[in-house]
Amino acid sequence: MSERALAIWLLLPAGLLLGFVALYPVVRLIYTSFFQFQLTLGPEGSFIGLANYAAAFEDPRFWNALKNTVLIVLITVPGALLVGLLLALLANLPFRVKWPVRLGLLLPWALPLVFVGLIFQWFFDSQYGVVNDWIMRLGGERQFWLFKPDLAFIAICFTIIWKTSSFVALILLAGLQTIPKELYEAAQVDGASRWQSFWRITLPLLTPAILVAMIFRTITAFQTFDIPYAMTKGGPGNATETLAMYVRVTSIENLNFGYGSALAVLLFLLSMVITVIYLRYIRGADD
Amino acid sequence: MKINNPRIWLWLAAAIVVLNGFFPALWIFMTSIKGEAELTRIPITYWPENPTLQNYVQAFREQPLARYFLNSLVVAGFSTLLCVGVASLAAYALARLHVPRRNLILSLLVGVSMFPVASLMVPLYQIFVELGLRNTYLALILPHAALSLPVATLTLVSFFAGIPRDLESAAMVDGSTRLGALWHVVVPLAAPGVFTAAILAFVNSWDEFLLASTLLPAKAMRTLPVGIQLYQGEYVFPWPLISAALVVALVPVALVIAVFQERVVGGLTQGGVKG
Repeated sequence: MSERALAIWLLLPAGLLLGFVALYPVVRLIYTSFFQFQLTLGPEGSFIGLANYAAAFEDPRFWNALKNTVLIVLITVPGALLVGLLLALLANLPFRVKWPVRLGLLLPWALPLVFVGLIFQWFFDSQYGVVNDWIMRLGGERQFWLFKPDLAFIAICFTIIWKTSSFVALILLAGLQTIPKELYEAAQVDGASRWQSFWRITLPLLTPAILVAMIFRTITAFQTFDIPYAMTKGGPGNATETLAMYVRVTSIENLNFGYGSALAVLLFLLSMVITVIYLRYIRGADD
Repeated sequence: MKINNPRIWLWLAAAIVVLNGFFPALWIFMTSIKGEAELTRIPITYWPENPTLQNYVQAFREQPLARYFLNSLVVAGFSTLLCVGVASLAAYALARLHVPRRNLILSLLVGVSMFPVASLMVPLYQIFVELGLRNTYLALILPHAALSLPVATLTLVSFFAGIPRDLESAAMVDGSTRLGALWHVVVPLAAPGVFTAAILAFVNSWDEFLLASTLLPAKAMRTLPVGIQLYQGEYVFPWPLISAALVVALVPVALVIAVFQERVVGGLTQGGVKG
């Protein structure tokens, strides 16, 4: 067998799997988005061109979901980067026993998103929640966290930042460990303060890792589903409904596949734009 | 005690990171061993006054929690096997053989790993309904294997690339075929990489909710995240049951990351540092 033929045989299973579960579905999704196709109305759809997309742009619930999604990106990505940087700097200190700190960073990453949503729903419980208990001990008033639109949004963003900051911290920690110690020693000899070392050495050398973490976080934040779904189901009203949640309600719960597919295509395009920027950046870094 | 004693600051830093990471899991464990009377008392108690395993008994008795656990294990186990098997073949080709348009394939892999699951969910639902496979394990094993495939392949490519070519050539000179060399030389050396990819794929599958709830909604087929999430609608005060079930569901993942923590950190951060 020639090397080329062997290569093709070895790549074939991966190609088939991704073709069946990722590429074909995307083609099918785009195709369905051009149809009026609702299972509750009948098994057949009718071609309506771009009408589903036109309907989306007229749909206040779509704009609300898009607004919530973009807000979650704008709040939780910088939030997770900041908290993650702080955790990474703390975790990078010269501990003699390393495993407790490492596990402290790994555990939030490994907890299923839905479980994190449930646990924090319990934290934010208005009757028996830890958060209200702390607030009341400090003399504050009981808050109905998940029943008021703004408070529910804050609680969800807080939860997302907690869940995602540890992954950011792991990436930044790996970046911190590649910075040569000699640089800090040299800076110290030259009389630089710790603060100056941080701004002049740590931050510039950490920038590539920060960018990678930021891009990964941005892409996943656009797809936010599990945590708000577990905490509020998108409520109260639609105050915390994200784009991914609206896609699910439309297609799987209401069985409106035509319109649901159009919404899903819009979500897909949003993610792919960010991904292309990401790939550009990687290629730029290679040159 | 001197305030600028560096060891105090070290302890403080460690305490912040550990508490931040462990507190939610710890709190749900504390919740799970309190009786319902204690859970619905104000002010709330921080240390369980009468620790009890009653919630665990209930969790298994009132809900098919053991079945959910089994379903999660089957889906995560088989999708991991499929994913790592397929990824190993592809990664070997990409790392070692002359593959036309190699960079395009690698870029495509990164691109596919960024596909939003919520978008794939809609056509996957239609496809598996048409095939009559909805509510069968296969309907979730295939997507889960595919979702972890890009990351597993990219992880393995860098592992294979790190194995000296000379070892392989030497085996081939000694009369092994290329596949023989692959099996006897490359596979043992790549085992740590394969293992890392397997852990990541397993945790990804164990955690996944959106596709699991769409493709395996029947009560007997639910995975742990799907089953436990639904307690909310089924009980007025679901927290005794949810907390106990969560602890049961978290044990396998906690064990995996505790035992293989260095490997997991290595696998997770590899792409990040190099990117």
